[in-house]
Amino acid sequence: MPSIIVQNIVKNFGSYIAVDDVSFSVEAGEIFGLLGPNGAGKTTSIRIILDIFKPDSGTVSILGGPMSEEKKNNIGYLPEERGLYQDIPLERCLVYLATLKGMENSLAQERVNKYLVRFDLIEWRKKKVKELSKGMQQKAQLITTLVHQPQIIVIDEPFSALDPVNTQMVKDLLREERDSGKTIIMCTHQMHQVEELCDRLVLIDHGQSMLYGTLHDVRKQFAKPAVALSTPDPLPALIPGVDSIKQENSDYTLHLLPGHSTQELLQTLVKANIHIEKFEIAMPTLDEIFIDVVQKQGAVQ
Amino acid sequence: MKKTFLVFRNEFISTVTRKSFLITLFLLPLVSLVVMIVITGLQKSTGTNAGALISNLMVPSAKTTLEGFVDESSLVTKIPGAYQFRLTRYTGEADAKTALAKGQISAYYLIEKDYLENGKIIYVRPDFNPLGGSIQSSSIDALMAYNLTSGNLNLYYRLQNPVNTSVNTVDSTAPERDQSNPLTFFLPYAVTFLFYIVIITSASLLLNSITGEKQNRMMELLMTSVTPRQMLTGKIIALGLAGLLQTVVWSGSGLLVLRYSGRNLALADAFQLPASILLWGILFFLLGYAVYASLMAGIGALVPSMREASQLTTVVIIPLIIPLMFISLLIQTPNSMLSVILSLFPLTSPVAMMTRLAATHVPLWQIGIALILLVLTAVYFIRVSANLFRAQNLLSGKSMSAKNFIRAMAGRQ
Repeated sequence: MPSIIVQNIVKNFGSYIAVDDVSFSVEAGEIFGLLGPNGAGKTTSIRIILDIFKPDSGTVSILGGPMSEEKKNNIGYLPEERGLYQDIPLERCLVYLATLKGMENSLAQERVNKYLVRFDLIEWRKKKVKELSKGMQQKAQLITTLVHQPQIIVIDEPFSALDPVNTQMVKDLLREERDSGKTIIMCTHQMHQVEELCDRLVLIDHGQSMLYGTLHDVRKQFAKPAVALSTPDPLPALIPGVDSIKQENSDYTLHLLPGHSTQELLQTLVKANIHIEKFEIAMPTLDEIFIDVVQKQGAVQ
Repeated sequence: MKKTFLVFRNEFISTVTRKSFLITLFLLPLVSLVVMIVITGLQKSTGTNAGALISNLMVPSAKTTLEGFVDESSLVTKIPGAYQFRLTRYTGEADAKTALAKGQISAYYLIEKDYLENGKIIYVRPDFNPLGGSIQSSSIDALMAYNLTSGNLNLYYRLQNPVNTSVNTVDSTAPERDQSNPLTFFLPYAVTFLFYIVIITSASLLLNSITGEKQNRMMELLMTSVTPRQMLTGKIIALGLAGLLQTVVWSGSGLLVLRYSGRNLALADAFQLPASILLWGILFFLLGYAVYASLMAGIGALVPSMREASQLTTVVIIPLIIPLMFISLLIQTPNSMLSVILSLFPLTSPVAMMTRLAATHVPLWQIGIALILLVLTAVYFIRVSANLFRAQNLLSGKSMSAKNFIRAMAGRQ
């Protein structure tokens, strides 16, 4: 049974429709990408899931039912609006926020310290939060998100202020959490991160759900009849059934004419005695799909 | 409940450990202690009592310099004994002018021929000071009164001071104070300002705290841990307690300073206040705080930052300033219609009633009505603010006009 089920949620702010009939579900043990351009309705959707906003219509089921105070303690949230109490020491700030998630003070203290060591912030624990760099504060916010070991983790742009080393560390951490059965929703604009981490995704634009499914299905859905080919041999200028050829060193992308199959192309190439090092269906990148969908939606609007 | 307590504890600890809070908490009593010690020291070395010392600080003691007079009315036959060395007669104005120019006299009076008809006397002095000109005229008053009564001293004294009032109050519970002591005069002022400052500061602390959450961008994170109601309750109680701590420390140390100096300065009579004023003080503070804190919380919920809040806080604070504008009236005629209205109207009563309580004996039924009205108002504003304290307002970055705020507080949002 999915940990989160969102069904036909709608939210209006006056005459502005922020979320328009969005549905999706998220399973335990997966990282789910919530994608969309700025102002698409991602944050509002998340706020509805987290019970900060009530939807005008539609329902949200969390861990098998509506949200409750206990369930809130089982959620870790890293909002896009990053905030911490700037004028108090880091450790006190993190322990206070952990106790607000229902942890006992002593346990919170112990866990916060463990995470501070892991995130390389232990030397800063007595320093005021405002003395920390932006990247350090983001790591501290991640600690707040994870310290109470929530069942559901919702993170908005988790890598935005991190250097490559910390980005890798956080990625490993998220995979670890997923493998231990946590449910993770990740909002991001960085499509390569989604390709690397997410199992499934939904793309929202203008409040509406545009794409939904596994990463592979989505890419297949947008795959145009094209082949990625690697060969040391020069390709003839004209190949039967091929519309156009794009070359980058020894890599080629061959776009097929309508009504021609990849199988025919392979046979043609073999007959022409061309050595083939790689031959695969060319999948569009998520970036391309994102731009494609958003632009089409923009044209419709 | 537990989360409300956690919010409360965090808020209280962060407030009372803040440097600025500790400084104001202890600086004021410390300053008044130092002032009292200095006064006590001065008293011991000069032998004057504290009351006289304070009046000397406020009004410069009149200098007994010699003045001249020219009597054209021929009414002045004799200079009374006490004024022999303060007034000297000149036969013509030219002589008086010369003496003034030489500095033998500081000024002279010209008693005109038809003085008996119009009482006209010209006062001639070298400097020009239109506001402080009447300081020296008591000698001439005495001179004329003495000569008009042909030296009949009793008649002269009665004319000078026709009524010698001594006040006997029927109400035995009224604070008995030495009316001529200037400290008696200060006490109601001190109480008024204490209440004004304490209510304003604690209500503003609440506003600060809420806009602080917004500025620290903590609202969204907190909304997934606590409900807006838990947050509001925790904060209101914490900052109310901080304000109460301030009231108790300030008034407690004030009383201690007075007790101490009372022993040394014989001030006790001047400052005797009924013990019940402390109880009323706590009640009026708590209710006044509840009203103004919930108004501030409403502002805090609606504005994106402290800067945006300033215009709205001005609107809210105006009713609290009204008693300060009428402070003289409240103190001098504490039972006049306006004073009673101000001390009953719930937005002005926390300050105005305390001023009256410090100035006179207030009938119990008036205190009761003021308290009931305050409770009703507090309940109303707390409910409206709690309604405004919801996620949509707390997370909105929109600015808010005074008009819309008043509409919102009237429950029309």
